[in-house]
Amino acid sequence: MSNENMKDPALNANQSASPLDDFEPAETVASSSASNDNMLDFDDDPLSATGVSRKSLVIFFLIDTSGSMKGKKMGELNTVMEELIPEIRRVGEADTEVKVAVLTFSTEVRWMYSTPIPIEDFEWARLRASGVTSMGAAFKELNQRMSRNGFLNSPSLSFAPVIFLMTDGYPSDDYKEGLKELQSNSWYKFGLKAALGIGQEANDNILAEFTGSKDIVVHAYSGGQLAQMIKIIAVTSSQIGSKSMTLSDDTGREIGEEDVFAAKQKLLGQQIQDLVTSQTDGNDVPFDTGW
Amino acid sequence: MVELEIGQEVEMEFGGKAKVLSVIGSGGQGTVYLVRFNGQKWALKWYDIDKMNKPKAFRKNLQTNITDGPPSNKFLWPKYLTKETEDGTFGYIMELKPDGFDSFVDILNTYKLEIDPLTGHAVKRPVKFTSLSAMVTCVINIVNAFRQLHRAGKSYQDLNDGGFFINVNTGAVLVCDCDNIAPDGSNFGIGGKPGYMAPEVVRGIAQPNVQTDKYSLAVVLFKLLFRGDPMEGEKVVRDVCLTESSELKHYGQNAVFVYDPNDSSNRPVRGIHDNVIKFWRIYPDYIKDAFIRSFTTGISEPTKRIIENEWQKLFIRLRSEIIQCGCGRTNFSSMFVQPNEKTFKCPKCGMEFVTMGFSNRKTRMPLYLGCKFYTCEINPESDDFMTVAGELVENKLKPGVLGIKNCSDRKWKAKMPDGVFYDIAPGKGFPVWQGLEIDFGEIKAQI
Repeated sequence: MSNENMKDPALNANQSASPLDDFEPAETVASSSASNDNMLDFDDDPLSATGVSRKSLVIFFLIDTSGSMKGKKMGELNTVMEELIPEIRRVGEADTEVKVAVLTFSTEVRWMYSTPIPIEDFEWARLRASGVTSMGAAFKELNQRMSRNGFLNSPSLSFAPVIFLMTDGYPSDDYKEGLKELQSNSWYKFGLKAALGIGQEANDNILAEFTGSKDIVVHAYSGGQLAQMIKIIAVTSSQIGSKSMTLSDDTGREIGEEDVFAAKQKLLGQQIQDLVTSQTDGNDVPFDTGW
Repeated sequence: MVELEIGQEVEMEFGGKAKVLSVIGSGGQGTVYLVRFNGQKWALKWYDIDKMNKPKAFRKNLQTNITDGPPSNKFLWPKYLTKETEDGTFGYIMELKPDGFDSFVDILNTYKLEIDPLTGHAVKRPVKFTSLSAMVTCVINIVNAFRQLHRAGKSYQDLNDGGFFINVNTGAVLVCDCDNIAPDGSNFGIGGKPGYMAPEVVRGIAQPNVQTDKYSLAVVLFKLLFRGDPMEGEKVVRDVCLTESSELKHYGQNAVFVYDPNDSSNRPVRGIHDNVIKFWRIYPDYIKDAFIRSFTTGISEPTKRIIENEWQKLFIRLRSEIIQCGCGRTNFSSMFVQPNEKTFKCPKCGMEFVTMGFSNRKTRMPLYLGCKFYTCEINPESDDFMTVAGELVENKLKPGVLGIKNCSDRKWKAKMPDGVFYDIAPGKGFPVWQGLEIDFGEIKAQI
């Protein structure tokens, strides 16, 4: 898995080919000198504590804002995203600080905010649709920012990010080239990837190329479904992403690395499939009709 | 998964219906709803049986727990089961969290989020123990609850920061999420929460049981006192990204305590683990030693883990060593200067505190206005660490004269300056003086 040579994203400082290439050691500062051990040389109040150090999880939303998203799709998406933020506020609990970054792509790619925002402070800025679908450029941009020197710069531990792609059409640029760059990124490799195709035009095969598996690609054909699917994917992936691995069922044998490899991604696939199949919402008017 | 709708009615096992009023929260196994049943409000936990390994056995175990009842009133215990729906889904109702209790998670975060109903904005409200004594009392309560549970032959299995509600003013504790509690030796599919699970459970070579509960309990206590993760130090932070395999390594195969005296590879990192670094300097050695044992030999040898009764004794001692100085500084006596073995001195203002020695322990209790001792400290048969037996107070009729008030229901004897022991009835008191001796019955004390 470490054989691919990494392309050269401008913001990635570390370019070794190890699977954890970007996961360079955090800067550690030597612990304080023990010489001055006076009882009063530090804040010695046993009740004054800061919050426990939390792991950081960034949820990346990659959202297609091309012209074809105009109207009901964009209205529905904006509404559900506004409603979603409070719902995922508590998923991190005491262990994880959840942050959100939104990358939109149409003719241009653009971040909603210049840095990931803690979920508690995040406010959704309503999106507008116009232009073409530069998905490849979005992949390249994501690859550049998804690094220790970019958006994943928490001094403490991080969980691998959640990356959630939503699109309604075929890319208008060379998505394969962008995806190839992205696939060499360690954060992408270990991240939880999920994709949502909106309407008839979205190509599930391209989305599966992005997620690495068909299990984590779902499709929404109506406004009601779009809202449901966004919620299911975002809530489930942030729940799984913000927590440590869960135990495998069969104990009695010591588990090894191979047992836990990509365990979260597999779990996400299962849970999303279970949730999607249990949805029975077919009464809405499809997106692609009635325009 | 069958989610319940607001307004929907759920049939209870022994008749009656619970009406769903709102969603309280959701977790790994299902969703908790606010319901009305028999004219009263309850919490209904409704399972997502797709995520359960053995729903039938799980339900049967719940039924047994309901019949057995809670080990003590410190548990928000399952009360009644619902009927099963056609596809086998079910739930149970329990009492609601009383007002005045905060979640353990909020205490660890030091704040809770309250949502402004008009704007939907989240506002942070501080959550913090109001006194050191309340915090240590809370620790004793947690330990005691698990002692009671284990004495009932059961294990909690899924001990983690989501399992408690705490009153930050009194230290009162309510153990919630009691639905995975099972007879020691049985397991109905729960593994536990990573970071709290014993290494042998993480590695897949053991199922949750009373011994793994003890490990998880030590993690809970460490988090509450030291406000950090006992296994997260430099070694772990170097991985930058906590992938599944790095978790298996750092919490299972190669877990190293941040203050392992024989392995300094995983020390806390300044800037990230400042709480742990600070509190490790504050707590007395006997507390630190207990954690060292839990997280070094206790990692590989489950039988060497600290038992609840031992924790309880250590923390009762810790509570008796709190000094509240007149200058406002409150700390453990180990953080005070000791000019001689019977006196403590505040390093900030210089105030001195006399101490009282008890016949059943080596350590001396510092005396200050408002300090208390509890029934279990003067009665060897008692396990009651909540009832105040004695308190240092100021005489209401003679301002400035300090004495000990008998708050217990037993008669004590106290030696006065004339050398004679006088009876001290409940509610009465006596002045503190240089040669004071107290006879509580089996246990004696002297200045």
